[in-house]
Amino acid sequence: MSNVTVIGEGAVVRGRIQGEGDLAIAGRVEGDVEVSGEIVVEVKGLVAANLTGQRVVVRGAVRGDLVGAESIELDAGARVVGDARAPRIRVAPGALIRGFVTTGPREPGATKSRTAAASAARPAPKPAVAPKKVEAPQSAPAAKKAEPPKPVAKIPAKPAAKSAPARGATIAGARPGPPAPVVPALRKGAKAVHKKRA
Amino acid sequence: MARAQRSSQSNAVIGAGAKLRGRVHGDGDLLVEGAVEGDVAIRGDLTVEATGRLQSNVEADSVTVAGTLEGDVTARGVVHVRAGAKLTGDVRGESLAIDEGAEFAGRVEADFELPAELAELGGARAGGRRR
Amino acid sequence: MATTVIGAGITIEGDLSTDDDVVVQGTLRGKLTARDGVVVEAGGSVEADIASGPAQIAGAVTGNITSTDRVDLQNGAKVVGNVKATRITIADGAQFKGSVDMDV
Repeated sequence: MSNVTVIGEGAVVRGRIQGEGDLAIAGRVEGDVEVSGEIVVEVKGLVAANLTGQRVVVRGAVRGDLVGAESIELDAGARVVGDARAPRIRVAPGALIRGFVTTGPREPGATKSRTAAASAARPAPKPAVAPKKVEAPQSAPAAKKAEPPKPVAKIPAKPAAKSAPARGATIAGARPGPPAPVVPALRKGAKAVHKKRA
Repeated sequence: MARAQRSSQSNAVIGAGAKLRGRVHGDGDLLVEGAVEGDVAIRGDLTVEATGRLQSNVEADSVTVAGTLEGDVTARGVVHVRAGAKLTGDVRGESLAIDEGAEFAGRVEADFELPAELAELGGARAGGRRR
Repeated sequence: MATTVIGAGITIEGDLSTDDDVVVQGTLRGKLTARDGVVVEAGGSVEADIASGPAQIAGAVTGNITSTDRVDLQNGAKVVGNVKATRITIADGAQFKGSVDMDV
């Protein structure tokens, strides 16, 4: 199990590196790397590849994603542009990374749960819209209001209370209802008072 | 005793057991041992102790987290995530250090260039620019 | 020692509640609840209702102060609001506008 592959300084590898054992990269690697053991990108190492290993240690430069089954370690001087995911991640002071970093369980949980939560929150309003459409024939909401202006004030005033769960309907119904005269009356009075006081 | 010393150095301390819902801003350092829900924007260093819990977007000079922070971090200096810390959010700072044993999930933005030789290489697409 | 300190230069806008002490050297707007003492130092400013144990005010407070203990308005204090406490002292040089309610 102690087979260590070394890509020496000055060596260039283009293509896929895959297999059992450890890998040390001091030269250049272009292509994907997946080994069962540890991957070490030495100070002089230049890697344009996704690196997958048990442990991934970077002291050089990497453009690509890092996946460690156990851990990822970025030492001082490391430069990584790419995502990093491992149960344990250590970024030493002086190491630089730009990308998505996720510790903890192997599945990229936090990232997805976050976006999932966000997307779950967004569709919520849609069901609220749907019931409004269902109620439409009964309570004559928005669409009918626009067409016949006269009965609007009376019709929605009653169903507004019934269709309370549907926000759109409630708000739309409330506007032409009782509040309409109240608000202007307050405003006029308030303004007048303020002016007099001032 | 150590905590007392640090407390006296910081301009502002949200003590353990204290709960704050609202914004914190201004000049000076802030040490959080309690719970803060609301955004923090200070010109000074922010330290979140192990007992501290923030649900806040944070802007500060340097940011050190040993507790829990849910929110985006923008630092003019160093961001340090200590062992035992739990940070969920995007981080933008001069540099970021994560101690082993810290939990972290978020995007890290840092301004630096890869070596020019690396740009000549093909291979993997730059993962850091996705999303 | 879990004192909460709002340092000079720091502004908090919102509700702050704690079982311990609070020292205000900066600015707090919103609401302040402390089971223990509250100290508003000279230069400190609180625009909030305060509910606390003993309160020492040397800075500015705009809001009602409700204390389970005593309230001391010290020299230089500027308080606009009602004070409810078991005991209250208003030092020479303190400015106070409001009513006092002492539980007898």
